[in-house]
Amino acid sequence: MILVKDLHKYFGKLEVLKGINCHIKEKEVVVVIGPSGSGKSTFLRCLNKLEEPTRGEITVDGIPLNSDVNVNAIRREVGMVFQRFNLFPHMTALENIILAPEVVRKTNKAEARKNGMELLAKVGLYDKADEYPDRLSGGQQQRVAIARALAMKPKIMLFDEATSALDPEMVGEVLSVMKDLAREGMTMVVVTHEMGFAREVGDRVIFMDEGIIMEEGKPNEVFENPKNPRTQAFLSKIL
Amino acid sequence: MGMNWHVVVDNMPILAKGALLTLELTAGAVAIGVIIGLFMALARLSKRKVVRAGAIAYIDFFRGTPLLVQIFLVYFGIPMLLKWQTMPDNYQYTAGILAMGLNSGAYIAEIFRAGIQSIDRGQTEAARSLGMTQAQALRYVILPQAFKRTIPPLGNEFIALLKDSSLLSIIAIQELFYTGKIIVGRTYQPLPMYLAVALYYLVMTQLIAQWVAYMERRLGKNDLG
Ligand SMILES: Nc1ncnc2c1ncn2[C@@H]1O[C@H](COP(=O)(O)OP(=O)(O)OP(=O)(O)O)[C@@H](O)[C@H]1O
Ligand SMILES: [Mg+2]
Repeated sequence: MILVKDLHKYFGKLEVLKGINCHIKEKEVVVVIGPSGSGKSTFLRCLNKLEEPTRGEITVDGIPLNSDVNVNAIRREVGMVFQRFNLFPHMTALENIILAPEVVRKTNKAEARKNGMELLAKVGLYDKADEYPDRLSGGQQQRVAIARALAMKPKIMLFDEATSALDPEMVGEVLSVMKDLAREGMTMVVVTHEMGFAREVGDRVIFMDEGIIMEEGKPNEVFENPKNPRTQAFLSKIL
Repeated sequence: MGMNWHVVVDNMPILAKGALLTLELTAGAVAIGVIIGLFMALARLSKRKVVRAGAIAYIDFFRGTPLLVQIFLVYFGIPMLLKWQTMPDNYQYTAGILAMGLNSGAYIAEIFRAGIQSIDRGQTEAARSLGMTQAQALRYVILPQAFKRTIPPLGNEFIALLKDSSLLSIIAIQELFYTGKIIVGRTYQPLPMYLAVALYYLVMTQLIAQWVAYMERRLGKNDLG
């Protein structure tokens, strides 16, 4: 589903990604962990071309990301959820969700609204359709943001620390939506510090440090028996 | 020379006519300025260097030279460029609005640019990650939010331009200041007349300020985003 070969990314002279190789299969849930500044977000953002890779190859759903032509086509297939929600504040929850289907997929309004309401129901916010984001809690906003990404019917979902900006009591409601998605077979790449989530639904854990993949494996293997000393050091700090 | 306040009362209606023209000229110029300003702001933020340089040159020129000079450049420039033998009737109004519109376009471009840049990068990224093109992201996500934030500075620009429109008297446009000047020439009562003129300007600028504050309250209701 996603194939990454020797991915390098520089910001000016700073090399943030130093040769990433990985293959993410269909329906796989890959959890990316690693210390701050290790390049997790940058890696994720390369997968939908929010960042332009400096070198290397990325293929998403059979489409090589190198050609500029189909950037928007790729982005339609790859949903992204951000740490700070990034809902559109001038639109209601439902309007947030139906905007892209309408203007990008040219779905007619009635159908977009119907799908939008179904998605709101799915994330438990059916009755919040007409609320503006500033009237919603962080957890509710993030669930709307997930529904918004899902409205484009993506084949892959990217989550960049989707629960990090939330008050502790709201983390659970967002994680449970993400777990549902994983169970339904969505291909997911999830950057998170939630190790419980990683264990429960992760098929694979990738530990990144200093722009490379230091270690990867099944969640239990990585968490119980980390081989790389850096992984050990990182895990001992957060577990 | 005694002060004759009757002159003011007698000439109220004529001054009002001048004030109305002042308002119309300014509104026309701001309308042109908003359109030019939008394009120039987008050009100014363009990734293409040539486009950006063009916008910068435009903005710098109109902000860095006196409006009075610009009015003359337009007023005398157009007939020369178009090789007119005589100026059409009422040509000065067209030239005046155009000159002020070109000028305010430069200021409004900077207002819009600041507005666009004040919107969190995450908004564009969210829109782009949903597959929207840059243009769609601008149209549906960035500009509606940016416009809201530009209302107060746009109001200030409207007020500044309304005051500057007195410069149009130089090309014999009978706006408020010109009207006052003519009456003074007739009545020899400069102090009462110019005070009355000033009062008219003050009332107009106050009304605009109130209206802008009202718009801001109304549009800012749903979000402060
Ligand atoms: N647009 C940018 N311009 C310059 N440097 C950047 C940019 N984005 C990220 N960086 C740098 O790249 C490095 C990796 O950043 P990145 O956000 O990918 O890390 P991260 O693993 O997601 O960290 P965190 O856990 O804090 O989110 C950091 O040193 C960061 O300062
Ligand atoms: Mg990050």
